[in-house]
Amino acid sequence: MVATELIVRDLAFGLMLGCVFSVVAHGLNMIWGVVKVVNIAHGEFIMLGAYGAYFLNLFAGLTPLETAPVDAAIGLLVGYAFYYAFLHRELRNKETITLQSEMVTLAATFGLSLFVSNLAIILFTGNPVGVNYNPGTLLFGYLHVPLAALYVAILSVLIIGGTWLFLERTFIGSAIRAYSQDVTATELVGANPAKVASLATGLGFAVTMAGGALLTVWIPVGINPLMGALYAPISFVIVVLGGPGKMWGSLVGGLTLGVVIDLAQAFTTAQIAYAAAFLILIPVLVFRPEGLLK
Amino acid sequence: MPILQANNVSKNFGGVQALKDVSFDLPDSAVLGLIGPNGSGKSTLLNIIAGLEKPTSGIVKLDSKRIDNLRANRVVGYGVAKTHQIPKPFSNMTTRENVAVAVLYGRRNIHSPSLALQEAERTLSLVGMGSRKDAPAGSLTVQEKKRLELARAIATGASVLLLDEVFAGLSPDELKDSIQLFRKLHEELGFSALVVEHVMRAVLNLSHNVIVLEEGHVIATGSPDEVVHNDKVIEAYLGSKNSAA
Amino acid sequence: MIEKPGLTLYGLFIVMALLAAAALLLGVAVSSLLVLLLVYAALAYSINFITGMIGYVDFGHVLFMAIGSYALAAMISYYGANPLLGVGLGALLGLVFALGIGLVILRFRGVYFAIATVVLVLAAYNIVLQFPQLGAGGEIIFNLTFQPLATYFTIWTIVLIEIVLTYYVNRSRIGFGIRAIKNEEDAASSVGVSPRTLKLTGYMLGGLFGGAAGAVYAWSISGVTAGPAFDFTFSLLMLAMIIIGGVGTSIGPLLGAIVVYIPSYFLLTTVAQAQPLIIGLLVIIMALFLPDGIVGLLRRSNERLRLLLE
Repeated sequence: MVATELIVRDLAFGLMLGCVFSVVAHGLNMIWGVVKVVNIAHGEFIMLGAYGAYFLNLFAGLTPLETAPVDAAIGLLVGYAFYYAFLHRELRNKETITLQSEMVTLAATFGLSLFVSNLAIILFTGNPVGVNYNPGTLLFGYLHVPLAALYVAILSVLIIGGTWLFLERTFIGSAIRAYSQDVTATELVGANPAKVASLATGLGFAVTMAGGALLTVWIPVGINPLMGALYAPISFVIVVLGGPGKMWGSLVGGLTLGVVIDLAQAFTTAQIAYAAAFLILIPVLVFRPEGLLK
Repeated sequence: MPILQANNVSKNFGGVQALKDVSFDLPDSAVLGLIGPNGSGKSTLLNIIAGLEKPTSGIVKLDSKRIDNLRANRVVGYGVAKTHQIPKPFSNMTTRENVAVAVLYGRRNIHSPSLALQEAERTLSLVGMGSRKDAPAGSLTVQEKKRLELARAIATGASVLLLDEVFAGLSPDELKDSIQLFRKLHEELGFSALVVEHVMRAVLNLSHNVIVLEEGHVIATGSPDEVVHNDKVIEAYLGSKNSAA
Repeated sequence: MIEKPGLTLYGLFIVMALLAAAALLLGVAVSSLLVLLLVYAALAYSINFITGMIGYVDFGHVLFMAIGSYALAAMISYYGANPLLGVGLGALLGLVFALGIGLVILRFRGVYFAIATVVLVLAAYNIVLQFPQLGAGGEIIFNLTFQPLATYFTIWTIVLIEIVLTYYVNRSRIGFGIRAIKNEEDAASSVGVSPRTLKLTGYMLGGLFGGAAGAVYAWSISGVTAGPAFDFTFSLLMLAMIIIGGVGTSIGPLLGAIVVYIPSYFLLTTVAQAQPLIIGLLVIIMALFLPDGIVGLLRRSNERLRLLLE
């Protein structure tokens, strides 16, 4: 393949990877944007979603695409539990999250992160596993596009679009949007803040775990208890790039990062590519803290 | 020689002209009222003088020294202290400790915490908050927090106070007390003050002079009496219920 | 103006004296055990400067520990230098890196700062793996004669310095400024405090002592490996220690180190994952229910204790 063809291929793959990154980060974005809390344990729930895909494939023969809704349902419940365990007390009486509450949730979710990942090591052992899902490839000119990656990319975009539609077109969705702007105003429109916040958290976790399932397509031998340590920072960078709370920001940030990482790996080692991708965060925070979107 | 001087201060926030060519003089020991309808730029002007924002153009001078290019904490070192419209106490420190921070970091050259705590106690008594000195600042009522803002500003040893709506939301009796307290403090301490207010009674009672902003411009200056009867000012406030109480 | 020290400082001195005596009298086995305890304490005091006192959560604090470890390992491995020089270099590099990094990231607030510190650790880990000078696969191992007492008293001295520094900073004018920043950073500058200066100072102290502690740690285990050196479990441990002990206090880090270390030592012999599991759980519980730690709890329970414990 000629140089331009290689670049096009890397671009195509980067975009497809970026779509999955987007949905993986989207849950974090939702929770960050609505409840204004950053879940440091985010990576661990991606990991759980990935293991969900692995086990459902192992025992029930489900593909990652089919696992995604199952993971989403589990995530919804987990999210509710997470809200009431960690957030309810802090948020209940306050209009916005105070600095002290911020430290508390940061520390608590950090503890949760290491608790869950080490529990996973004990339960699942440290051996990396993977899901075998290969419906074939599509030939697009000179491009061999794996259908698995394509399906997952499409589903990812649908999920993000779906949450956007939910937030914009349903009553509960608008209650959630109201909550993210002004907690006390939520009561004025007749919604219960705790219910709104817990639902938003549940949705965030649902998307996160579904994202973990879809991610497995890209890591055929990479499902391991510590994978959260890689995908959480990736998610953080994506959310910051797109702007916390901006729903389409997940897609913008995810696509950007996917392309950057994929292209970079063409020129340098994987390590440097990832290091660079992480370090992008800092200049963005310095020069454009609201994110790349207007 | 005025102690504080603003020359043609303008501030542009990416397309929105918050202030345009605002100039005024604040004479030593005088109280200058700054009024105007909402959105007229009063807070922006205070923020610029206090060093929280930089003017797009124009100069602010304190005693002939330029301060518009200084950061907020350095402006305090020069002797200008601003209160917050929505009080921002150091919630997990006692009221006395709150004021002590101001004593230690203002321009009074007191570096010993025990001395600072003593000074803080004195200042709190001055503003009538002596009984609350050991209370955690986070547990104070809104009015007490406003008094604390004032106490902190005074405690820095500032010669110029920038007061941001300190008289807002008071009952008629509380307002009377606050106006008296301000008079007493002004007599005893002799500071100069720029007072942003919506409560006309306070402005008219306490100011030597008043300047009126509308949409970033100065539309009138003069004595309180002159300004209140100025046609342009009345027009700017048409519909406002904040007439002299 | 230095005021007469209170009971807390004397209490801490007594504990340190006991630790010194234990090492001298109870033999090599005990001092090897206690070296790790003191390393933990040194790390706790170092993160206390930036996270406990100023309130900026430094998840990436393990970075300074790694810098110190690599500094010492490189000095001994490639230059055959005296380990004490390695510790000095570790401290110096920690300080310098903290200055450089702090100038950029201390302007970020809350979560953004925390995430930036994480990102830096990940980037550093990946970068270290690129440099063969830092060992193939980031591993440097050296062979030194076993000097338990030298190692022990080096870290002992470091902890002692940290205790005194923490104690006096808390009581001084700087302590007031730091607490003001932690409570309400914007209001702090409106009364004349310079947040930039104080934040940077706290971060640099964290880097200095984190680097020193990391260097001694590498000395005590005769080497450094990239994976463990940049392990976030250390950051968790450091956070756990100050949360359990009491953030920002003088007693907290040492108390937290003792509470975290004793069980850790025994747990390490059973399931390797049990330690972070239990510590993680402890952190969750403490953060949610007792955010000001044991010292905070004691101070709130009794007026006399509130005045005595710092």
